[in-house]
Amino acid sequence: MEFKLEAHRIVSISLGKIYNSRVQRGGIKLHKNLLVSLVLRSARQVYLSDPCPGLYLAGPAGSPAMPPPPPQQQQPGEPAAGPPAGWGEPPPPPPPARAAWPEPEPQPERPAAPVTGAGDAPRGGEVEAAEAAWRRVEGAREAAEGGAAGPAGGSDGFPEGPRGTRRQCGCPPGAEDRPGAPGACPRLACCCAPRPAEDEPPAPPAVGPRKRGAAGVGGGPAGGPASGSSPLKKPRRNSEEQPGGAAAAAEEEMETGNVANLISIFGSSFSGLLRKSPGGGREEAEGEESGAEAAEPGQICCDKPVLRDMNPWSTAIVAF
Amino acid sequence: MPYSMPSGKENVQRVWKGDRKKWLEPTPQGTADIISTVEFNHSGELLATGDKGGRVVIFQQEQENKIQSHSRGEYNVYSTFQSHEPEFDYLKSLEIEEKINKIRWLPQKNAAQFLLSTNDKTIKLWKISERDKRPEGYNLKEEDGRYRDPTTVTTLRVPVFRPMDLMVEASPRRIFANAHTYHINSISINSDYETYLSADDLRINLWHLEITDRSFNIVDIKPANMEELTEVITAAEFHPNSCNTFVYSSSKGTIRLCDMRASALCDRHSKLFEEPEDPSNRSFFSEIISSISDVKFSHSGRYMMTRDYLSVKIWDLNMENRPVETYQVHEYLRSKLCSLYENDCIFDKFECCWNGSDSVVMTGSYNNFFRMFDRNTKRDITLEASRENNKPRTVLKPRKVCASGKRKKDEISVDSLDFNKKILHTAWHPKENIIAVATTNNLYIFQDKVN
Repeated sequence: MEFKLEAHRIVSISLGKIYNSRVQRGGIKLHKNLLVSLVLRSARQVYLSDPCPGLYLAGPAGSPAMPPPPPQQQQPGEPAAGPPAGWGEPPPPPPPARAAWPEPEPQPERPAAPVTGAGDAPRGGEVEAAEAAWRRVEGAREAAEGGAAGPAGGSDGFPEGPRGTRRQCGCPPGAEDRPGAPGACPRLACCCAPRPAEDEPPAPPAVGPRKRGAAGVGGGPAGGPASGSSPLKKPRRNSEEQPGGAAAAAEEEMETGNVANLISIFGSSFSGLLRKSPGGGREEAEGEESGAEAAEPGQICCDKPVLRDMNPWSTAIVAF
Repeated sequence: MPYSMPSGKENVQRVWKGDRKKWLEPTPQGTADIISTVEFNHSGELLATGDKGGRVVIFQQEQENKIQSHSRGEYNVYSTFQSHEPEFDYLKSLEIEEKINKIRWLPQKNAAQFLLSTNDKTIKLWKISERDKRPEGYNLKEEDGRYRDPTTVTTLRVPVFRPMDLMVEASPRRIFANAHTYHINSISINSDYETYLSADDLRINLWHLEITDRSFNIVDIKPANMEELTEVITAAEFHPNSCNTFVYSSSKGTIRLCDMRASALCDRHSKLFEEPEDPSNRSFFSEIISSISDVKFSHSGRYMMTRDYLSVKIWDLNMENRPVETYQVHEYLRSKLCSLYENDCIFDKFECCWNGSDSVVMTGSYNNFFRMFDRNTKRDITLEASRENNKPRTVLKPRKVCASGKRKKDEISVDSLDFNKKILHTAWHPKENIIAVATTNNLYIFQDKVN
């Protein structure tokens, strides 16, 4: 559990660094951003590989769509930032379908992200997808947990505690049918007007050919990252979790709000990033050619199709 | 003269003394005088520093005082000039920083001195020359330059040179521009003294010192699809003796040795130096801390040294699979990597250097500490460059960082280290035990105390 929070924290810090690098004097520093993206990827791996159910990143019951990024951060010529999907979206009001989902525990938690194993990509309606996901999560939870307060089982041994809220993403069915199609999932619709956007869907640890040292990174982080995180941080985190969901929720809200802003800037200006690359037009052409794989932000919140597309998206962060 | 740290008795460690040279008052912005590079010339008589504001300041060693023969000359400011100015790339809407990334001296061939200085995009060859006489007695001009009324010229005389106060002039002789898309991180002069290389994140170019309008690309690791980028070049250096050999280090912790005789484009390395990662140390930040920030050949050319975030490694060029020596610079930081990532310290690029005889290596750390490792005795020492040692001839006291547990007297705990005070740049005199250590704004020059 702490690993997951730590991973999430590292993700948001990393995104902040990447964002800040765009406005730094002297232009984007390729080396630093490459390293940050590697950390981002590692943290994301940990974050997603954890089968710990019921992890939530609480946010306010706010507007369904992300506020557009501040205008001064948009470069001329970039596509207008649509509401992003992906990490840390503030959750919209719970949709009616949720009420139908059984809640095993008297906790203010919402359905967790679908645990995608070898993955049947949920197709069809959003509700079916959500329900199937919820069932999987339920199963995992029952298997893993001994009780409301007990620590989550599984190899990670993450302790339970008040968690943030994860929202289901509502991509229109069309997007799910054609996972590779760019723009099949219009950002606006995907970004959760009807449904909350899903926080990072869990991905199998080894994702994509671009994984470097997959055995090390993918397999490692589940147990490994603690060694990387400062031991001083843990007590602080624990004490913050104690006060209960509200406090943690408030803290997470700020974090996720921040992350969401960053995602929106990244997602929308992905090709803008490439255009900014010192390599110039060549990268942009490549970016657009691989646009079929390069995830539109909207596609991120889909389940299986997005999992595949998330990898190029994160590698795209690498490719300034 | 060869020097080695005495071995054996524990109280026979060399002592270092020196003083602080504050050579520029902080500019109003406060950051322009951050030292960004330090380099002795081949004789050690001159010491060049570059800063974030694009300035170069050269110090010169005083001639040795014959009476006080045990004390070597002090370094005083010799020349100051603005090497690079901020520029703007209008095509890409990018500002180009004027910060001097590297300075490299050319060996002296005549009375003048030459050095290469580079910022992110442009390398310049500077000539530093002395003027200590000037012509006087022109027929048609007054001494202040005004032209005389020709009708007042009644006699002719031959102008003569008269001594004047020493003036040191720096003039740019060559400007090597527009060859790098990414940020230049290294320059290195070949042992043929005619060519040099410049390296950016993805490419290395070979130049001739006389030719500015073209360069040869000898390494290109840019992938066809930038999304597949996994590593960048972090440093490059020519071999000190073999003019066909150079190495470059990467952000993945590998070093590649290339032979320019093998092919025009040295994308295929001749040797690959890489140490397998210790899986027990795996963390989120493993990749960052394995990125090599500096690579330096030994003077002999047999070894090379690499610096990554936590350690210094000595490699034998004949053995690729692991370094022959590894020295931990500040292993106590391994548990703090997350905090160091947050405050960006984990991205600090520490440099390292050899002493003249290749027996001692030195590198910087935080809290204005710097470390020396004696390769023969395996002893190491931590010293501090700080104002407390400002008084000249103050002997430096060894420092110790308490990693955990009970802190002894005079030890400093890890949590009280000041991570804003970092020593990234150090240099060792090529022949003597004189070291230059750059803190953020100040330059310290230390000499060993010869008993």
